[in-house]
Amino acid sequence: MIYLQILANGIVLGGLYACIAVGFSLVWGVLNVINMLHGSFIVLGAYIAYFAYVYGGIHPFVALIPCGVVLFLIGYALQASVINRVITAPVLITLTLTFGLNLILNNAMLAAFTADYRKVNLAHPLGSIQIGPVYLPGDRVAATILAVALTILLYWLLRNSRIGRAIVAVRMDHEAAALMGVDISRINAITFGIGAFMAGAAGALLSIIYPISPIGSSAFLFRAFVVCILGGLGSVPGAVVGGLALGLIESFGGLVFGTEHVTTLAFILLLFLLFVRPTGLLGKRGYE
Amino acid sequence: MNRRSLMLNAAGFATLAALGVRPGSAVAADADVIKFGAPLPLTGALSPEATKQRHGYDLWAETANAKGGIKAGGKSYKVEIVYTDYASNTPRAVQSAERLITDDKVNFLFAAFGSGAAKAASGVSEKYGVPTIAAAASSVQVYDQGYKYLFGTFTPNDTLTEPLANIVSKNPAIKKVAILARNDLFPLAIAQELEKSAKKRGLQIVRLERYAIGTMDHSSAITEMRVHSPDWVFATGYINDLILIRKQMNDLGLKPPVLSMIAGPAYKEFIDATGRLAENVSSASWWHPAVRYQGKDIFGTTQAFNELWRKKYGHIPDYAEASAAAAGAIFQLAIEAANSIDRKKVRDALASLDVVTFYGHVKFGPTGQITSLEPPVFQIQNAKPMVIYPAAVKQADFKFGSV
Repeated sequence: MIYLQILANGIVLGGLYACIAVGFSLVWGVLNVINMLHGSFIVLGAYIAYFAYVYGGIHPFVALIPCGVVLFLIGYALQASVINRVITAPVLITLTLTFGLNLILNNAMLAAFTADYRKVNLAHPLGSIQIGPVYLPGDRVAATILAVALTILLYWLLRNSRIGRAIVAVRMDHEAAALMGVDISRINAITFGIGAFMAGAAGALLSIIYPISPIGSSAFLFRAFVVCILGGLGSVPGAVVGGLALGLIESFGGLVFGTEHVTTLAFILLLFLLFVRPTGLLGKRGYE
Repeated sequence: MNRRSLMLNAAGFATLAALGVRPGSAVAADADVIKFGAPLPLTGALSPEATKQRHGYDLWAETANAKGGIKAGGKSYKVEIVYTDYASNTPRAVQSAERLITDDKVNFLFAAFGSGAAKAASGVSEKYGVPTIAAAASSVQVYDQGYKYLFGTFTPNDTLTEPLANIVSKNPAIKKVAILARNDLFPLAIAQELEKSAKKRGLQIVRLERYAIGTMDHSSAITEMRVHSPDWVFATGYINDLILIRKQMNDLGLKPPVLSMIAGPAYKEFIDATGRLAENVSSASWWHPAVRYQGKDIFGTTQAFNELWRKKYGHIPDYAEASAAAAGAIFQLAIEAANSIDRKKVRDALASLDVVTFYGHVKFGPTGQITSLEPPVFQIQNAKPMVIYPAAVKQADFKFGSV
């Protein structure tokens, strides 16, 4: 019966990981930018949700949209004003730029919020739902459902909206997209903004689960990285599959090998996958 | 300044920060100043801990200077603390300590944070013969290297687990113990001490699980523990780990009659972050604001120290903060006893110190580690940490049961 519980744990965790990674994956896949700011974006979203709850009594599940919007604006502005200048440069240049921007944002948050860990303490937590021998943590499950819903919404927008189609077109071939009349810089900025939106919304959801502090941002970035490589770059389903895979690997790996070896296990599988299937589980070739 | 040079400057500063270089840190040598070097992990994962240390040192320096400085050899010396940031990176802590001695020419040193970094950097201060006080290193392995210049204000780890195990094992219903430990020097060492303390009292260890640094999910470990229905869960780690573990235990229905955690519950942030779930969590630490000592040091009584701290920082100090302030106060006592700032004389004065401070009775053993402290056991009751032990400062009885 323990396996059912571990399976449930893994799925719930995987949903959260997918949510952490989807914005990162989108930016990497479309813009070819490894956004080192992503972890700090998540933490900033979590702080906005935290303060909205503590001072305004707004539940993080409600605050996730405003959190996302604030981050969208920041992301859009950053891309339009700074990152767009080097967007065609090799990936190392944009990586270095976002690394530097991350140092600035992260230290600004340290100065503003201190490094002390905080957590949203819900006045009415959802508690645990017990189904037979399996405990489902209410808040986590709700956060996961919202995360997956947001991800599906993003997927739908990419498939069906005009901007979404333009983003996908840029992802496939930005020169051809430009020839077809797509305003590349604008689409780049919107894509980066959407990536930041997803990070901000994820931050709001995670604020009820994880203790937040600017120094925790690298843990999120690291997860996003692993999920993207596992699932395949730039596709929404890839992030979901990668997230679930990592969640399940961590849960079952923890059971079999002990929690201390979970990270090692995840990396061994990652290396193995890079060897046998470098595009990730759902990645497609030729989108470079 | 155009945008390009602004960005270049920003990048330059980031690089400087990454290298641990502080612009403008070269201070003109002043004859009547005693410089104390403090290598700290001011950025990176350990920065909350570094802030606590820094606050402690700063309060001491400020208090000492306000009261006329340190008196030795007929002179009054101002206290100056020189900080370097080693970015939570232990090899860099060693370099920081060396640079403080050779470039910044500090007279004395505070050790790097935690047992691991303090041990790594202790070779440097020994090499140069610089008396060093470690304000946050408890593991015996830090002090058993035969070094003469290293002193520490934390007693060995078993002094925390022994009284805790004594109290818990008095209840005959407590039989099975499960331990969840962060795979890191101090958290693992304290978990192993608890294992010994529990076994010694006939308790059965049903699980000892380690988790990696940076673990973001404890559900597998907690699920496995639940299978064994332990009566006492003992979790070790730092505050972020313990907040997450507490929440996940509740989520997954693990509700043991006794839950002990080291070293998060001593901090107010733990209670703020876990709320109702903090109730009845027990812990032990090297110091607690409820202890009462009439000190001979610059701070005087424990109450006076608490009040001074609250005025400057707006909250009641915890053990890590008090230990840092105490390290400064102890240096001052030793320098004044030696009546000199000669490193060798101050080292000898530290070794023979036997004095009561606001922090407790201070007497260093032959290895340099303090032997005279009696670490309190406490439990969070009604959102406040209440002292259970020692009897002299007891505030409440131990409560069994989980919320």
